[in-house]
Amino acid sequence: MIKIVGKDALETWVDEVIARMRTYGVQAKGDHFSFESLRRAADLRLDYDVTILPPKKYLQPPRETLLRFSGAVEYESVFDEDPFVIFGIHPYDLEAILQMDAIFEKDQRDEHYLRRRSKAVLVACDVETVSENVFAGCMGTAYLESGFDILITKIDGGDYVVDIQTDAGRSIADSLKSAKDANKKALAARREVWNKNKARLRRHKLEVPLEELPALLEAGYEHPIWEERAQRCYSCGSCNLVCPTCYCFDVRDDVGWDLKHGVRARVWDGCLLAGFAEVAGGHNFRRNRADRYRHRYYRKGKYLPEMIGKTACVGCGRCITACTAKIANPVEVYNALLEEKDDH
Amino acid sequence: MSKPKVAIFDFACCEGCQLQIVNMEEEILDLLELVEPVEWREAMSDKSENYDIAIVEGAITRPEDEERLKKIRERAKVLIALGACATHGGINKLKNNFPEGEPERYVYGDAAGMPHLASGRVKAVDEVVPVDVKVFGCPIDNREFAAIVKSLVMGQKPFIPNYSVCVECKMKGNVCRYEYGEICLGPVIRAGCDARCPSKGAACYGCRGFVDDPNVNAAFDVMEKYGKTVEDLRSKLELFGSGQEYSDGKNG
Amino acid sequence: MITEEVGERDKCLDIFRPEPATLLRCRQMTRLEKWFQFRLDSGRALGHMPGQFVEVALAGIGEAPISVCSSPTRGDTFELVVRKVGNLTSALHELEPGEKVGIRGPFGSHFPVETEAVKGRNILFICGGIGLVPVRSAIQYVLDNRGDYGRIMILFGAKTPADRLFVEEMAEWQGTEDVTLLETVDRRDAHWTGVEGVITTLIPCIRFDAQETVAIVCGPPIMYRFVILELLERKLLPENIYVSLERRMRCGVGKCGHCQVNGIYVCQDGPVFSFAQVKDVEEAL
Repeated sequence: MIKIVGKDALETWVDEVIARMRTYGVQAKGDHFSFESLRRAADLRLDYDVTILPPKKYLQPPRETLLRFSGAVEYESVFDEDPFVIFGIHPYDLEAILQMDAIFEKDQRDEHYLRRRSKAVLVACDVETVSENVFAGCMGTAYLESGFDILITKIDGGDYVVDIQTDAGRSIADSLKSAKDANKKALAARREVWNKNKARLRRHKLEVPLEELPALLEAGYEHPIWEERAQRCYSCGSCNLVCPTCYCFDVRDDVGWDLKHGVRARVWDGCLLAGFAEVAGGHNFRRNRADRYRHRYYRKGKYLPEMIGKTACVGCGRCITACTAKIANPVEVYNALLEEKDDH
Repeated sequence: MSKPKVAIFDFACCEGCQLQIVNMEEEILDLLELVEPVEWREAMSDKSENYDIAIVEGAITRPEDEERLKKIRERAKVLIALGACATHGGINKLKNNFPEGEPERYVYGDAAGMPHLASGRVKAVDEVVPVDVKVFGCPIDNREFAAIVKSLVMGQKPFIPNYSVCVECKMKGNVCRYEYGEICLGPVIRAGCDARCPSKGAACYGCRGFVDDPNVNAAFDVMEKYGKTVEDLRSKLELFGSGQEYSDGKNG
Repeated sequence: MITEEVGERDKCLDIFRPEPATLLRCRQMTRLEKWFQFRLDSGRALGHMPGQFVEVALAGIGEAPISVCSSPTRGDTFELVVRKVGNLTSALHELEPGEKVGIRGPFGSHFPVETEAVKGRNILFICGGIGLVPVRSAIQYVLDNRGDYGRIMILFGAKTPADRLFVEEMAEWQGTEDVTLLETVDRRDAHWTGVEGVITTLIPCIRFDAQETVAIVCGPPIMYRFVILELLERKLLPENIYVSLERRMRCGVGKCGHCQVNGIYVCQDGPVFSFAQVKDVEEAL
């Protein structure tokens, strides 16, 4: 069902959801925006540009308990199956979540992620404000026509088109049933937003057609750009940690004072960090900064596409902002590979 | 299993890191279930020469301190350097940037020659004796200290991050200080503090010291992008970084 | 009962949850390496194939990937050789028989000894140091199905005579008809009367029909390049050379990203690869 509502009706509905279940939404945090616990609809800022961290933090938390132990081999699985709603996911971040779904489902199912995910209701919203570094328009993620539970689009005139596509979406949208159905005009206005976003979410312009990216990388393994840029790389992992499609983790035990009870947790990790590929005994299989730097762009543009069939960069632009050395712009990197090829 | 005996000693420092241990409050009782303190000037009156773990706070600035430290090392199975003064020389090491005697003359004027003020070049503990474990920070993080003690009692090598403050800072969802035009040392400084300064809106000033292979050259390179100079960065690095070496960043 | 069902479901489905195993016997092999024999408390056999690994867990310390060194043909126990290099392995060395560990796995690919690619052919095992550990599983498997294979040649190199592993078992293999075993040490000691030199010095000492021979190679990273070069010169086909790669296999289930070698997950796609699979993978060897 696709409805059209005014701002007041939208807020009334969001407040109803908040009263019913754990709700997160985009809010102002100083002069930036962040997904936080949502206490009232008035705090929800669907007009945001980009959040500091992607909503990934609710699906794969920075630190997530996997097991509790109470002795040498007494392990108990810890699952988080408490339902929750996230309001205000931009399409590029939604695409990233869909990719995480594919990865955690693939081969050996990761129940810790998947059970939490199965209880999440994802309310997406189309982009109103273009952020400083977004390039989703180049990555096919400026808008999505499916994949969300609910999609909210602010159309010309100020009303919101609310597209409720799944059972999970319907489960929180009872009160919208009585709202007006979106008519042709409203849907055309939404299409207009999509087209406009596709054109304007291009603060950086990728010159490479996405389907050619793996081949371009295949040919660019020894390109001087890796070494050049890595000279200025701190190996701080900021690009990894703010990335909506980075999901690598370390596993650590945390033991209580009795040295018997404790938890095994997974913690966000990043392939740019110096010790990422180091084994016990000290051998580091990716010792050079340049090798680690290159690995990230290959994962996004080649390795993960080979694994899940999608480019694993969604164009949110967070890494560009987060990199203090200003070397992490994927568009610059991929375009540079292209130029070199044309020179030959 | 008998509890390891622990002695805590202080040298040139403000004793704030010991205070962090005292500040563990109710957890102190849990800690005392694991270890038995036998000497700890800040918290008890006993003294002992019989201990397994020596915790050393402060920098080493006098020949007699070096002798005392060497004796401590001989008696201890495990020696822990506690806090920035012990691990790197800390703020005390700023003194080494000046000609010998000048800081004393500047601070104490005519009294600078008094015997109780006599002190030499500042050394970190590991410049005098081998150190087994370093608890970084000014002051230390008492949760990290607790984890380190637990690891040692279990016979484990404690987990000390070798990644930068940015990791913990990003996990906390902070906005980068560079976005506000500040020089933050986070990208080259060892994590473990849970990014406590950036999380409160202040740039990292590097109290935990560099990660193993800090790309400080990159930091000098990027200053320009933020309208800062190499000198601006250098002055930031001096507070806790005096006398610390860093690589040219060419290799991992 | 709903709670029980959930409990059972959790046990089956949580890929991170170890199952208990009890240490039956252990023996110090060298200064750093210790041999362990375990049985899963459930009573079931581990169900592994030669070359696979398990994640061994100690609560409060963590997990480490360890190759299984025994053959599935040898009953319902399984054996590991653990080099003391980190927290977990040091703690394992302190275990006494009767004590328990957590086990996940077996994980990864295996030496394809049960397939037509290997059966009926000669097998050349080349191992350096603890590279013998996963390969021993394959050697035992092949010896237990002796009729299925041609000649068996084993080349083993250790740093010093004191670093040799499975010394008694190697003597047994040496005494077995149809098995050729050659050994070398990088540095001899006063008692060593055998060959001295790196492992590649042994390769010219053996003859084999390259078309009818499969090589199984395992050792430190530096060893592969030289050994493989030598084998290719001897006309062995890349698809008939198998290697086992060591990486940081943190989760063992293809999620955590640490063991990735270019686009390959060593914990799932490996650790055993044919050289043909990895010869164009830049980070592999």
